[in-house]
Amino acid sequence: MIVLEGITKKYGHLYAVDGVSLTIERGEVFGLLGPNGAGKSTTIRMLTTLTRPDGGKASIGHFDIVKDRDKVRNIIGVVPQENNLDRELTARENLIIYALLHRVPDWRERIASSLDLVGLLERQDSIVAEFSGGMQRRLLLARALLANPAVLFLDEPSIGLDPQIRRQMWDIVRNSAINGRTVVITTHYIEEAEALCHRVGILNRGRLIALDTPARLKETVGNYVVEHIDAEGRLIQHFCRTREEARSCAARQPFAVTVREANLEDVFVKLTGERIE
Amino acid sequence: MKTPGWVPVFLKEFIHFRRKLFKLGYIFSAMVGPVIYFFAFGLGLGNRVKIDGVNYLVFLIPGLVAMSSMNNAYTWVAGTVNLSRLYFKTFQMFIQAPISSSSILIGEILAGMVKGLFASLLIIILGFVMAPEFFLSWPFAYALLANCFLFSALGVIVGMLTKSHEETATYSNFIIMPMAFFCGTFFPLDRIPLILKSIIYLFPLTHTNILIRKTVMDGEAWLSLFVLLLYGVVFFFWGKKLINDYDE
Repeated sequence: MIVLEGITKKYGHLYAVDGVSLTIERGEVFGLLGPNGAGKSTTIRMLTTLTRPDGGKASIGHFDIVKDRDKVRNIIGVVPQENNLDRELTARENLIIYALLHRVPDWRERIASSLDLVGLLERQDSIVAEFSGGMQRRLLLARALLANPAVLFLDEPSIGLDPQIRRQMWDIVRNSAINGRTVVITTHYIEEAEALCHRVGILNRGRLIALDTPARLKETVGNYVVEHIDAEGRLIQHFCRTREEARSCAARQPFAVTVREANLEDVFVKLTGERIE
Repeated sequence: MKTPGWVPVFLKEFIHFRRKLFKLGYIFSAMVGPVIYFFAFGLGLGNRVKIDGVNYLVFLIPGLVAMSSMNNAYTWVAGTVNLSRLYFKTFQMFIQAPISSSSILIGEILAGMVKGLFASLLIIILGFVMAPEFFLSWPFAYALLANCFLFSALGVIVGMLTKSHEETATYSNFIIMPMAFFCGTFFPLDRIPLILKSIIYLFPLTHTNILIRKTVMDGEAWLSLFVLLLYGVVFFFWGKKLINDYDE
């Protein structure tokens, strides 16, 4: 279980994360959603012991992220937003070093199975610099799973992945959570949060502005959106609870309208008046 | 048996070093500075100048070993730690691993020592070829090891403190370069004015140069070894604290 209690991080006078409190249950896939600069990555960096909070506290599996850093490091795996593979080493060498750092038992077998899982076994002796961006993201995932962590942090895991590989990665993450692993994902891809996450926390300017399942969050704004462009070229949206309400709303508009199901971006727009991307 | 935490840190740097070793240009770049000094000063003055009754070349070679081991150990570690922390972010993988700050530090220091010892070995071989009177002694070995250790540890400190890769060059220009020229590499310290001497004796390379030219461990040799070890311990604990307090 992951518990955040009023966790705060300031850079100068700017609050990157401002008093965020939430609880993530064991085996849950939890998404942190928000635009760039919302505080998602800073939250992840604090939970993964790279950054120390200025206020509040947080624990992972009852271990405090500041006082019990070594114990926290023992149970987490991280796919960072910035690729931190050693590009001059081979894929296998990268994983050997990680396995030794995390004292992985039977590391030879585990490296082979992790590489196989992400479809890179045949390229294990290739230098990482020769890999495409997508292959490097997959190798990062294989590395994070190598020590069989109880909690997996994925900071924008789908950046640079084509749709097919992205879906393969989602499958790996889903299967990973079935086995009781807790997964925390930051993303600004709406469909990723909706496809993967049991619950989503929406961050804006360092503050947690909404927290619930994707379905309930959408219900709070209305399950259907009627949208059109007005005479001045602005996108106008009407949120409706039911399909009938949406139809009736569309019929009242003097413009050509689109009726569609609401998504998490609509929730964000409704709450903040801004778009995520 | 559990693998000690420093092993993967050292292994990563060693794989890099081994790959570079097989690139001819790398060996030349490690050698070019000391070899130029060797030929320019050593062969130019070697037969004409005697210091304490020995050929200047025999005096110069241990100094070049001290200077080269300092340069290579320091530059490798400072560059590696700085680049991996600020640009490649691979250092964060060490920070997020369940190993102690001492393990990270020891791994980096050992990698720097290997680099420093390798560069020294090339000059020692050159010395044996060009100056038959040149010999190795126990004080030479102590000085070389202590020098590689403390300058590798200094490299970690600089790599952790600097906020850009260019900044490491500033430290080199203000700390490493003056030491290379003023701490007894090229000329004996007894010819330096007294007022400067008291400052020069504060620098660790001065004590490396004193110790590395000794044939036996006399009182002065023990004092210099003590100073080098003191610097090593101070740099070690400073580096450990910087890694322990890592915060982005």
